[in-house]
Amino acid sequence: MDYILEVHQVSKSFPRSDFSLDNLSFSLPYGAIMGFVGENGAGKTTTIDCILNTIAKDSGEVRLFGREMSDADTDIREKIGVVYDGDNFPGFWTARQLAKVMEGFYVQWDNVLFHKYLEDFALPVNQKIKHYSKGMTMKLAIAAALSHHPELLVLDEATSGLDPVMRDEMLDILLDFVQEENHSILLSSHITSDLEKVADYITFIHNGKLMMSVSKNDLAYRYAILRCRESQFLTMEPTDMLAYRKRDYQIDVLVKDGKEAGQKYKDVVVDHASVDEMMLLLVKGELV
Amino acid sequence: MRGLLRNNFYAMYANAKVFSVIMVGTGIFVVAMDNEIHSLIIGYMVSAIVGFSLNSVASVRNESASKWIKHKLAAPVRRADIVKSLHLSQLIWLLAGAAFAGCVVVFSVLLHGYPFDKTTDIFMIFVVGISVSLFMGATFFPLFFLGGEERSDVFLMISLACGIGMLMGLSTVINIIFPGYMTPVQIIGSGSAILACGGLAFVLSYLFVRKRF
Repeated sequence: MDYILEVHQVSKSFPRSDFSLDNLSFSLPYGAIMGFVGENGAGKTTTIDCILNTIAKDSGEVRLFGREMSDADTDIREKIGVVYDGDNFPGFWTARQLAKVMEGFYVQWDNVLFHKYLEDFALPVNQKIKHYSKGMTMKLAIAAALSHHPELLVLDEATSGLDPVMRDEMLDILLDFVQEENHSILLSSHITSDLEKVADYITFIHNGKLMMSVSKNDLAYRYAILRCRESQFLTMEPTDMLAYRKRDYQIDVLVKDGKEAGQKYKDVVVDHASVDEMMLLLVKGELV
Repeated sequence: MRGLLRNNFYAMYANAKVFSVIMVGTGIFVVAMDNEIHSLIIGYMVSAIVGFSLNSVASVRNESASKWIKHKLAAPVRRADIVKSLHLSQLIWLLAGAAFAGCVVVFSVLLHGYPFDKTTDIFMIFVVGISVSLFMGATFFPLFFLGGEERSDVFLMISLACGIGMLMGLSTVINIIFPGYMTPVQIIGSGSAILACGGLAFVLSYLFVRKRF
C-alpha cells in the first residue's frame, strides 16, 4: 500500500511542560480519510505541527508523499491544504485580500475556484473576516485550503464549535475531496460522530502516546466491547483484552475480535465498539 | 516572496492609511509655515521616516491574534523568506517615510528658500530618521522572534529606545573624534558612517533571525 503520510517514531517534548509526544507512528494511505482522535491535550495539534514542520520534532521521521519535508521543500507544502480550529486568518483582512496573499504563496492557486467556493458558501468578499460568524470563518478556511488543489488536507479540530448542519456540510465537502483517489485527509477531532461518518481509519492518541490505529472496517466488524459481570471478567484471559473499565454494575472490556470473544465467553453481551466508547475505554480504562 | 510582501502590506494597511492621511495633513501645514522655525521641519522629517518604519515593525504583531503564522509556516514559503520579507517591508516603508519627508522639504524650499545654515543639515536629518529606523528594526525582529509575541509591546518600546540610543551613542563617538568645528566632508563622512552602522546592524539582525527562526 502507498502512503501519502507516514509518521514514524516521532517524539517531541517541551522543556516547561510534562507533556511529550512519545514515539508516535501511523500511516495514512492515498485516497483515505484518517480520523485522529484524542481528548483535549492528548497531542493532536503537536503531532500535526510536527507533520507540517511548524515545530521541530525531537526525533523520528515524517514522510509526506514519500519524502521527508524540510523547510526548503516548498513543492511538498504546495500539495497540502491546512485548516485550523478558530481564527485561521487575521481578522482585519477581507476574503479578497486573503486571495491576493494566497495567490502569492501557491503556484497552483485557483482564484476562479476560490470565488466559486465563496459564492457557494455565501461568504461576502469584501467584508472583514472578523465580522464573519464561526461557521463562515471555517468555510472560508476550507475554501482557501481547497483552492490551491491540494492532495492532502490536514484539519485540526476544524469541525469543533460548528453546529450539526454546518458540520454535515463540511463533511460532505471532505467526502467530495476524497473522490479523487490520490487525495487524503487527516482529520483531527474529538467529535467522534463526525469521524464515524467519514473516516476510513481511526488513530487514537492519549497523553502523547499512540493507543491504536485501526481501519473503520475493523472497528465495525472486529473490535467489540464485552459487557460482563465481575465473575465473568475474572474468567477472561488477559491476552483477549485490550482494555477494560469497571462501571457500577458491569465491566466493559475492549477486545480485538468480538466474534471470537463471543464464541469463547458465551454468557457475556457483545456490543459494537463505537469510537466514543473505544476512546473512553482507552483513556479512562485500564490497558492490558 | 510576493505573497509575503502582500501579507505584510495588508498587516499594515489600516495603520498606514491613517498615518499617511495625518502625514499629508501635517506636511501641508509644515510647507505652508515659514520654514525659519527649524524645529517644525526637523520634527516632520524625523516623524515621517521613523513613523512609517515603526508602523511597519508594529504590524508584525497584528498576525499573532490568529493562527495565521502557523498557516504561513505550512504554506510553500521558506522561513528565511518570511524573515526576509519582514525586513524588506520595513525598508520599503522606511523609503516611503523618506519620500514623504523629501517631498515636504522640496516644497518648503521651493516656497520659502533653504531653511538651514549648512547644506549638510538636511542630509543629517535624513541620517537621524533612517538610522533610528534601521537600529529599531535591527533590535525588534530578534526580540520578537526569540522573546515571543506576548512581549511585543515592550519590545517595540525597547527597540525605539535602542534606535535613539544607538544614534546618540554614535553621535557622541563622532563628537569625541571631531571635538571642534566639522567640515562638510567630515559631517557627510560621519553621517555615512552612522548610516553604514545602521545598515550593518539591520543586515546582522536579518542573518541572526534567519538562522534562529
